[in-house]
Amino acid sequence: MTDIVGKRARFFLISGIIITVSIVALANFGLKPGIEFSSGSMMTIHFEQVIDSDELKQEVASSGYPNAIIQQTREGDFLIRTGELTSEGKAQITNALTAQFGPATESEFHSVSPMVAAETARNAAIAIGVAAVGILLYITWAFRRMPKPFRYGVCALIALGHDVLIALGIFSILSVTLGWEINLMFITGILAVVGYSVNNTVVVFDRIRENLNRGVSPNFDVVVNNSLVETLGRSLNTSLTTLFVVLALLLFVGASIQNFAVVLLIGIIAGTFSSICIAPNLLVTWEKREWRKLFRPARVSQSSQ
Amino acid sequence: MIKRDRATLIMISIMFALALLVVFPIGKGILGQKGIRLGLDLVGGSHLVYQAQFSEDATSEEKARNIDRALETIQHRIDKYGVTEPIIQSQEGGRILVQLPGFTDIDEAKRLVEQTGFLEFREVELNEEGEPVYLTSYLDEGRTDFFNGEEEGSRIFVDNNGDPAVFLVKDEQGTLLYIDKEGNPLTTGEARQIVAGILEELAPFSPALSSWIPARGDDGTQLTGSFLDEAMPYAAAGITGTETGVNISWNEEGGIIFDQIAQHLYGGAFYLSPKQELGIFLDDTLISHPWIKQPAYGGTGVITGQFTPDEVTRLAILLESGSLPMPLEKPPLYQQKISATLGADFIDMSIMAGLIGIILVMLFMGIYYRLPGGLAILALTFYVVLVLAIFKLIPVTMTLAGIGGFVLSIGMAVDANILIFERLKEELRLGRTLGAAVESGFSRAWPAIRDSNITTFIICGILYILGSRIVESAPVMGFAITLAIGVAISMFTAIVVTRTFLRILAGTRWAQKTPLFTIYSGKGK
Repeated sequence: MTDIVGKRARFFLISGIIITVSIVALANFGLKPGIEFSSGSMMTIHFEQVIDSDELKQEVASSGYPNAIIQQTREGDFLIRTGELTSEGKAQITNALTAQFGPATESEFHSVSPMVAAETARNAAIAIGVAAVGILLYITWAFRRMPKPFRYGVCALIALGHDVLIALGIFSILSVTLGWEINLMFITGILAVVGYSVNNTVVVFDRIRENLNRGVSPNFDVVVNNSLVETLGRSLNTSLTTLFVVLALLLFVGASIQNFAVVLLIGIIAGTFSSICIAPNLLVTWEKREWRKLFRPARVSQSSQ
Repeated sequence: MIKRDRATLIMISIMFALALLVVFPIGKGILGQKGIRLGLDLVGGSHLVYQAQFSEDATSEEKARNIDRALETIQHRIDKYGVTEPIIQSQEGGRILVQLPGFTDIDEAKRLVEQTGFLEFREVELNEEGEPVYLTSYLDEGRTDFFNGEEEGSRIFVDNNGDPAVFLVKDEQGTLLYIDKEGNPLTTGEARQIVAGILEELAPFSPALSSWIPARGDDGTQLTGSFLDEAMPYAAAGITGTETGVNISWNEEGGIIFDQIAQHLYGGAFYLSPKQELGIFLDDTLISHPWIKQPAYGGTGVITGQFTPDEVTRLAILLESGSLPMPLEKPPLYQQKISATLGADFIDMSIMAGLIGIILVMLFMGIYYRLPGGLAILALTFYVVLVLAIFKLIPVTMTLAGIGGFVLSIGMAVDANILIFERLKEELRLGRTLGAAVESGFSRAWPAIRDSNITTFIICGILYILGSRIVESAPVMGFAITLAIGVAISMFTAIVVTRTFLRILAGTRWAQKTPLFTIYSGKGK
């Protein structure tokens, strides 16, 4: 039988490395907040004429917006991001651009005031906090008949923190390399990942609960390993079907829900890993109180490789 | 086949047929006006949120009443533009939300909403000798009181474009104050500078720098837009090209006041004297200053001026819909405009994504789980139709994020099936008959299905509340609603539909063929 629990030190090590990389990336690169969170205006303008991004930047700068960020999104489509624009300011830019580059159409415009941005950011942060506490309480409640129900909640929470951290870390790398921004869809995606990750973990925990009640084995690690192996098929299959639809979303809908789909993609992969390899193994480690011993075998296995 | 299962099967079939009929009504489309309601990001349009400005001593009751009036006024203005299903709502904290599906000229939308549209009529102030007064008269004589002592209202002096340049008011102590158009007090020196600028380009007959005072009827009531009954734009061929203007008709009281004003303006002045001019001011801007050419008009009039056809239309709408009871903060708190073509692209792309996703999931289920997988495909088909029918009946407004939630829920919808099938396989491996395996498989899989889906519901609840507390609520709430409905229906289809199918199957000869359940004799663990 596949031994997952026995290899827990190795799994912790893998996760530890990925999380360290994520934290380092987050600390160094940070995340780029979109205008929903940082306020400002963003417009997508389509030009009939072929124009150069640098020339465009210059023209926008000379009409009074030197800090504008210009990005080419498609052939002939440019995204111009500035601070919050007044009607006059907007007219000034568009007039200057049509004068310089010929006919242009504005396909999208989005503007958020500082007040609304602050509100949105605050509420998003609260939502993530409430989600974490809610999940902890719910799992503690769902496993209330087990000895030490709180542990299940904490382990599920650590697993989902693991998934969210990895998603954030990858996004901070994407923000420096591709200029991706954090928007509301990203937050929605993160919360969906939270739900998904816990969903998977609960299925595994549920089987542990059942096997403990049936008294499969007096050894906790054997019970956990049996439960993991028994739910492995389900865990992988559900992840696969979800991956299919998320990939379809990413490939066919593309740009406007790209953030959302990529967060889900990362979250599903990380969530599957953490619900199989991290959360249950944390339970075993906690049960055995082997926190200090844990990485001694890990070091041994490292040197033996 | 047990009786109960047959009854359930019939019920499921009826439900499916009904749902199908809801989703594909005969002769109508699936999406759009008569179909599932589409959000702004899919049809294109403008989305604005404004902050209303109230004076500090306004009571919450007054605020609520004024917001209601503002909503009506905005509704009225927008109705004239023929926008289908606009959403005009008040939000917490004195905010006004305006959503215009299909109306993508956001700048025009803003102009339409933001115009406070206070229309008033003014005439030129006269001194004791009956001669017109100008801003220069006040400055040159260093006046400490109005020339026309009877009129205590503000004086407006406009520049060559008709825009307000200087206001002259009397404060509570009775001192005259010069104020610029931003509302800042001016010294006489600063006022002189403004005058010098205007004088440089002053044209003959210009209304610039004239002292405009409120035009009042005999009982002292000022003539304002509130006495207007109807305003109709017109365009007619004239000597200098197309002449445009607005025909106005007064209500009964307005007609009387207007004639009284016409009487005293017309009386005893030379033709084309400033004394005969009636200034029409919209939000302190002089938009037209026709000469009063007869002593009585009998309730109608015409506003003419240098207008483009668009401006005439907008002016007529503004005149008729009246003024907003309070100004709105500019720029709006939130603005979003999405072009219609972009929205249409999204619809096509997301239908494509949904279809591909469903097909992939179905293929996987069929190949991996064989016969039960085939049942799951049926259940999934039922699921998709039922969810779409529910979206349409509630109705749920579909946004891009909502479609994301729906597509995601397809992937998660089979989860309950997978949980059940995995259990089923375990039970079959233990040598149980299909009938027994179905029952114990279901009862064993249930706690996991329940507990794991509750976490999704918790997240959906949190997202919904988050959505309701932020301005950009549509994507977040849309996702939460579609995902929650999707997960709920997926539990229902797995527990009722898949189970019934499996039970019925258990009574047939197919039940003996274990390879169809991916169980091979002798290969159990």
